[in-house]
Formats: sequence, C-alpha cells, structure tokens
Amino acid sequence: MPIIEVEGLTKTYRVFQKKEGLLGALRGLYRREYKEVKAVAGINFSIEPGEMVAFLGPNGAGKTTTLKMLSGLIYPTAGDATVLGHVPWRREDAYRRRFALVMGQKNQLWWDLPAGDSFQLHREIYSIPRDQFDRTLGELAELLGVEKLTRQAVRELSLGERMKMELIAALLHGPQVLLLDEPTIGLDVVAQAAIQKCLRDYHASRGVTMLLTSHYMRDVEALCDRVIVITHGTLVYDGPLAGIVERFGESKLVRLQFEGPAPERREMERYGEVSRLEGPFADVRIERSRIAGALADVLNRHALADVSVEDPPLEEVIAKVFEEARLAHDAA
Amino acid sequence: MVAGVARYARMMGGLARYTLAREMAFRGNFLVKVSVELLWMGILVAFYRVVFAKTSTIAGWSEPDYFFFVGCFFAINGLIETLFLENCNEFAELVRTGDLDFLLLKPIDEQFLISCRKIDWGTAPNLLMGAILMAVALVQKGWTFDPGRVAAFVVTFACGVAIAYSFMMMLTSVSVWMVRNQSLMEMWWLFSSLVRYPREIFSGRGAEMLGRFFTFVVPILLVSNVPADVMVRVLDPGMIAWTVAVAAASLWVSRRFFHVALRSYRSASS
Repeated sequence: MPIIEVEGLTKTYRVFQKKEGLLGALRGLYRREYKEVKAVAGINFSIEPGEMVAFLGPNGAGKTTTLKMLSGLIYPTAGDATVLGHVPWRREDAYRRRFALVMGQKNQLWWDLPAGDSFQLHREIYSIPRDQFDRTLGELAELLGVEKLTRQAVRELSLGERMKMELIAALLHGPQVLLLDEPTIGLDVVAQAAIQKCLRDYHASRGVTMLLTSHYMRDVEALCDRVIVITHGTLVYDGPLAGIVERFGESKLVRLQFEGPAPERREMERYGEVSRLEGPFADVRIERSRIAGALADVLNRHALADVSVEDPPLEEVIAKVFEEARLAHDAA
Repeated sequence: MVAGVARYARMMGGLARYTLAREMAFRGNFLVKVSVELLWMGILVAFYRVVFAKTSTIAGWSEPDYFFFVGCFFAINGLIETLFLENCNEFAELVRTGDLDFLLLKPIDEQFLISCRKIDWGTAPNLLMGAILMAVALVQKGWTFDPGRVAAFVVTFACGVAIAYSFMMMLTSVSVWMVRNQSLMEMWWLFSSLVRYPREIFSGRGAEMLGRFFTFVVPILLVSNVPADVMVRVLDPGMIAWTVAVAAASLWVSRRFFHVALRSYRSASS
C-alpha cells in the first residue's frame, strides 16, 4: 500500500501585478490586478514505503509547492493527498510526529544558541524518550562528524556544519517519511557527500521513505532509483532513473582508444559529434540507433586498444527533459 | 489532559531557559533594556506623585488606589510584553520570509509555539515592579486581607491578560494577509494607552459613550480596570461575570481567527 498518494493535486496562487512607476503604485491602492498562477496543475503519483524518489524540475516547476502541500504547510486549491494515511493539511500531531521536512535554504535551529539546545527543545516538542534521544543524537552526530560542534552557537558554524545540524534535527524523532528540499544546496562536495552518506545509511537502517528535490544530479544518482519530473506544475516523467536516460538520452558517449594515433576529425565526424580528439583517444557522441554500425565500421578500419560506451551525464538528460517540456508548454 | 498540561509547562520552562541563555549571550543589550523599562516606570510614578501633590483624587481614584491601578497595569502589560509581544511582533517577518514553515511542522499547538516561543526577559522586571507597586499601594491604603477580593482579583487579572493576549493575537493574525504588519506596534501602543487609565476618565457626554464603547463593545477597558477595581474599590459581581465572559469569548474568537488566517498562509518561496 502506498505511503504517499497524490491525486489531482493542484495549487493556484493569486498574484498581485504591480504596475510600474509612482502612478501605477498609487493606482494599485484602489484597483489591483491579479494574475492566477498555477504552481501545481493536477499531479498524480504514489510512493511505496521505503522508496527513495527524486522529485526534479526546473526552478518554478512546482516541486517545493508540492512538498509544502505534502507537509501540510499550505492548502491545495484542488485534489487530494495522503501521507502515512493522513491528510497533510489537517496538520494532526499524529502526522507531524511521523515525518520531517528539510529545506536547504532555511534554518529551523535557534541562531544564537548551540544546536544542542535546539535538539533538547525538539526532544520536548516531539516527546522523544531520553535514551532514544541520546542514542539517535550520538549516532547521527558521529555519522556526520559533528560530535564536537553541538555546543557551538549555530551562527558560528559553517554552512555545511549547519546543514548537518539541520539534518540531525529533522531525524531525531525518527520520521518515517522524509521530505528533502534541496538539502545540499550551496555545500562543497565533501559536505554533499557526507549528507548523501548519512541519508543512505539512515535509509538502510530505518527504511525511511524519501522524496528529494535537488538540482545536483549527484544527489539523485547517489540516492534515488526513481525519478518524478515536474515542469510547469505538470508531471512529465515518473519512472526508474535508468529509464529517463533510455527515454530522453538519444545519444551515448563512445570513448575510443586506438592502437595508433586517432584518425582525422573529418573521418570521426561521420559517426557523430566529436568532443575529444587527442593522440590515440577519440570521444564521439553517437545516436543510439547508430552505435552498433559505427563501432563495426571503426573496427573494420582501425585497430582499437580499448572502447567504452557511456550514457550521457544525467544533467544533460534532465536539461533535455526540461527543455522539451518548456517547448511543449510554450507551444500549448 | 494532565499529561498535556505538564508537557506544555515543561516546554514553556525549556523555552524560558533557552531564551534566557540567549539574552545572557548579549548581556549589554539585556541590561540596557531592563534599565530603560525601570526608568520609564520610575518617571511615570514620579509624575503621578507630582499630580497627587496637587489633588487628592484622579477621576475618583485616591492616590493609593490609583497606584494600585498603575501597578496592576504594569503587571499585566509586563506579562504580555514578556511572554507574547516580541513573538507577535516577529510573526509578520516569519510570514514574509517563510520561516513560519518550521513552526507549523512541529507536533504542538501552533498558537502556543508562535506566541510563546521566545520570552522577552528584558521586560520581565515590569511584572515584578508592578507587583511591588501594588503591594506598596495596599500598605499605604491600609488594606485588610479579604480572600474574596483576592480570588476575584486573581480571576479578573487572568481575564485581563487573556483579553489583551486575544487582542494581540487578532492583530498578529492579520499579518498572514498583509505580510508586512508594521502597524501592529502602533495598534498595540494605542491599546496599551487605553488600558493604562481608569475608565472613569471618560466623563462628559461624548467621552462617556466612548468609555461604554470600550467597556461593552470593544471591551479593552476591562483589562486593568476590573482587577484593580475588585481589589481596592468596588467588588461588582456583574462586572466580574462580564469580564470572565469577555475573556472566554475573546480567547475563542482570536483562536478561530488565527486558524482562519493560517489557512491563507502561502509560505514564501524557498
């Protein structure tokens, strides 16, 4: 049975259109113009317990709005959703005890106090038994390497350290569903890797269900098997991560290493787009349907020392998905 | 029920400790704040001393009675400012920045967390000074202990706090729609200006109507008038009942209003 079920979820905002200049501002005092903005336009999906799902889309696609509806922060304009059997926007305590939302761009810890004090307050608010609290805090702090920083004021921590503390705060009460909105935004690669490892380990040990939005494809590759893509409030893909590359990655990168020097560029360009030609190496992007024929042809003509066929980088595929969706939306 | 009350009391204790620790981290700011509050109260008491040197009553209130009233106002106002004012004042900013999100995610009453999460220790001495002023006034008056009056005072004092809190919560809730609510402080100043004087000052035809309006229609004059009245002047059961009813109704209305406002919360973009 799905742990998250979303049906026709829609959120429309009425946005004030401010006119330019002083006259426009004065006119706005008595006559205001509003525009209806459909942030989420009737999306459907369901997530099974223990799944780790990436929720991708360009800026303004409706990802965060969806997460906020699933957290119960905002009310939908239409549609239904249940998470752990609860309607999120009823904001029942029984629901709020069982999930957590982490937002990479916002702080929930008290700025002027050590993170440890905020954790204690969490313990009170979530009624976490003392032994469970101590155990979980110890485990998470060790996992993230911040055992010595919990008594330091939050404002004196680096962004990476602060994010780790935010993650600890979100996990202390043992949520069954974790909603993550760009948890690694602005972090260096070391901190990103630490957060990813923590989430992976936490998932492995607790079987938590995760829905993650991120613009870093490394997060997605490291954590998620399934991807949901949303653009302009509409769902455009829901399936395995590998499937999105199959569906939208029309070409593959063929890396060739010749026994002698690589052939001339003109010859290699017959197969596809050459991205590297250096000594014995040649990297060529070749359409999927032509790869077998191209390789056979190269082998007939030249002696190869090594060959590999790689999927295009996920960033590239996702960018293509977004671009196609944008063109379809503009055309409509 | 008992467990629930105990949990909220524990949380209040925790919030009190953490906000005190935060204040102590900026002790210069804390000391200045306390000094300004004490100075303000000192000036006010000195001013009334000068006035009472020229007259024996103000609007029918003798000097000790009036000082009891002033003490009562300071105690109520101090309590409101210590527990709620800073939180309510910050609410609009929480709405504007979207930081309200994290308060709404917690498995705890939103109104409690939003209105009580920070205790402003810098205004807490007002409560103490108000209590001292009331005690001194009672001694000056030669007041004899009356358990009935004390009980009525405790009840109406709590009602006064409840009415003031409800009024503040309604002003605060408007921030969800207005997003910027800089008028909150001005409105609160207007409210506390009305509450700081006995309702008898509204004499004369037009003013009397105004006094009735603020006693029965928008009953904010009940806040410090009734508790002071029942303790040192008239023990009017009708007025006590009215104050209790107004307190209960205003708590209910402000809570409903707050929840209606939260439904319109848009959560600023991340």
